[in-house]
Amino acid sequence: MRPYLLPILLLAEIALFTAISDVQFGSVADFVDYFRYYLMDLVPQAAPVLILSFGMTVVMLTAGIDLSVGSMVVLVACVMSQFEGDQQFWMTAIPIGIGLAFTLGFVNGSLVAWLDVPPIIATLGTMMFYRGACSIVMGDRENDPFYDVPGYEWFAGTVGTVVVVGILFALGGSWLQWSRWRRELLMLGGNRVAARYAGIPVTKRLLQVYSLMGLLTFPAALCFTAHDGAVNAGSLPGLELKVIVAVVLGGTQVEGGKGSVFGSVIGALLIAVLDEGLRGASGWGDRNLPFEISHLRFVLLGGLLLLGVWLNSHADKSRPLNPASPTATPKPT
Amino acid sequence: MFRRISKSIRQRLLFLTAGNLLLMGVILANLLSGDDSTTASALDRFGTVLMDAGPNVAPVILAGLGLTGIIFAGALDLSIGSMMVVAGTVFGILFSRGFDPAACFLGCFLTAFVLSNFNGLLIRWLEISPIIVTLAGLTFYRGLALIMADAFIPDFGGSIAVHDDAYHGPGQRYPGQILLIAILAALAWETWGKLPRVWLAHGCSPEACRLHGLKPGLILQSTFFAGGIFLGLAALVDVTNRQNLEPARMARGFELEVIGAIVLGGTNIFGGEGSFLGTILGAFFLYFVGQTLLYADVDLYYREAIQGALIVIVIGVDCALHRRQKLLDELK
Repeated sequence: MRPYLLPILLLAEIALFTAISDVQFGSVADFVDYFRYYLMDLVPQAAPVLILSFGMTVVMLTAGIDLSVGSMVVLVACVMSQFEGDQQFWMTAIPIGIGLAFTLGFVNGSLVAWLDVPPIIATLGTMMFYRGACSIVMGDRENDPFYDVPGYEWFAGTVGTVVVVGILFALGGSWLQWSRWRRELLMLGGNRVAARYAGIPVTKRLLQVYSLMGLLTFPAALCFTAHDGAVNAGSLPGLELKVIVAVVLGGTQVEGGKGSVFGSVIGALLIAVLDEGLRGASGWGDRNLPFEISHLRFVLLGGLLLLGVWLNSHADKSRPLNPASPTATPKPT
Repeated sequence: MFRRISKSIRQRLLFLTAGNLLLMGVILANLLSGDDSTTASALDRFGTVLMDAGPNVAPVILAGLGLTGIIFAGALDLSIGSMMVVAGTVFGILFSRGFDPAACFLGCFLTAFVLSNFNGLLIRWLEISPIIVTLAGLTFYRGLALIMADAFIPDFGGSIAVHDDAYHGPGQRYPGQILLIAILAALAWETWGKLPRVWLAHGCSPEACRLHGLKPGLILQSTFFAGGIFLGLAALVDVTNRQNLEPARMARGFELEVIGAIVLGGTNIFGGEGSFLGTILGAFFLYFVGQTLLYADVDLYYREAIQGALIVIVIGVDCALHRRQKLLDELK
């Protein structure tokens, strides 16, 4: 996909949803105000997807996938919600959350790297397992200690989320861009056998990648709990799909060997605008559509995923066609 | 057939048979050790457990037989649960508009069949990996079902109640018979038929198939065609067994259960190796694990985690056992 297409797509999406939402602009000041608040609200909403899309991009560079991210975020949030919402929260729940997030990712990594389970199967299994663990921890309850924790609401605000996401992408992203680590991952995703012959420690790299993905579920859980204030075992359904669609739309190839975290930012924003736009357009939907407009989210997510992958593999005529023919078997990683 | 399949799958079939017998033994022991039951009543209840196993596990086995064929050829379909929801919604729409039971059954079956074939066509047209196409299908079809239910069912409030017995025929009266016929047909086809072997060959090497004069695209499409027939039956049995059809909640995690049964049955998820018999035994194994947990009074909240862990462990051990061979193949 050509790089300028994504921002254009994003602007077109914002324009479309603004047109069908019920806002009226009386003056230029109204217009500026509306978009100021719109952007200030958008980043906190999109923070979990933005943070996770960084990890998912790295995972996809190795031709892997992690379907358990949603379950991991909710499990970390559920375990953190077991603690009292006071000053002590910072000393107890936070370190435990970080440790748990890393461990969950490490388990995924062990399955993929040591036991050689295909990533999609391994993480499909752990997705179910971690969701089950959420039910064990929470039962039918919903816990909300987060608003009582002093200073916690900073992570729900525009400044807090922009700082967290900004540090991750500015520092992490630029380090990744120029690091040898990324090039090794690209080679590993492009051709695993060649990577092994080239002396790249394949098992170690895969473990690192999935552990990083796990670790990133902690800041995602932090932003999610600070924003929503409460968590239950069924929170965040379908988050993994949103993250995958965001990354794929950002130009990362599912077959591995190509991708950039900066593209994923715009991909994640596209998803956030879609979410926000459908919410804003509910009045228009009620008047003009015979069904609830929020159901369109599922359909559009599926459509966007297909469109993103198709554009990545076929639309750019300067590159050879995607090696994954319809008859090709999925690559074991 | 048993002699033709590879040693590792033969071992898996024996393991699953032993596992199923062991789990049945555990259930029987649990029933016998119950305080308030006599031996006769315990045996009676055990008989009921066995008789109920077939109908309860029918959707998983039927969908599993279809998906096994697709996996044989090296493809995958993650959207089977969502396609069943669309089929259920079509059933609900026809029911709410007063159509005959036969028309409702046909509508349900054909929807699943057509969508499965559509998936096959999409994979061929777009030339995208089947996993991605059907991952998109997983969310797309679920949304489609919700939209259809909202738009076409008068006063739809989230669920459709089907209280007329005439509409429950395949799911409540004949699920065992449908399952038995499908199993016998699949096993006979596997033993004497040519197409399953062609699928396996395609799973091993599409290029070799092409050089041999076969058409890889058509082979792939034929797996989705046959898969559609089995999925249609699965949808029919599952949908007509329900008193309430809820598109938002129906068949959640169904694809994972089916893939779990298939992989437990020894079928290689990347194609080229496997058996229908393994899928059947795998599905019964997962069902009996659930029943054992039920009779052992394990908390409902623990069941999903235990079943998830079991799938991960069995697949993990299997992959670890084959790792050495895979690395050696890489070196070649």
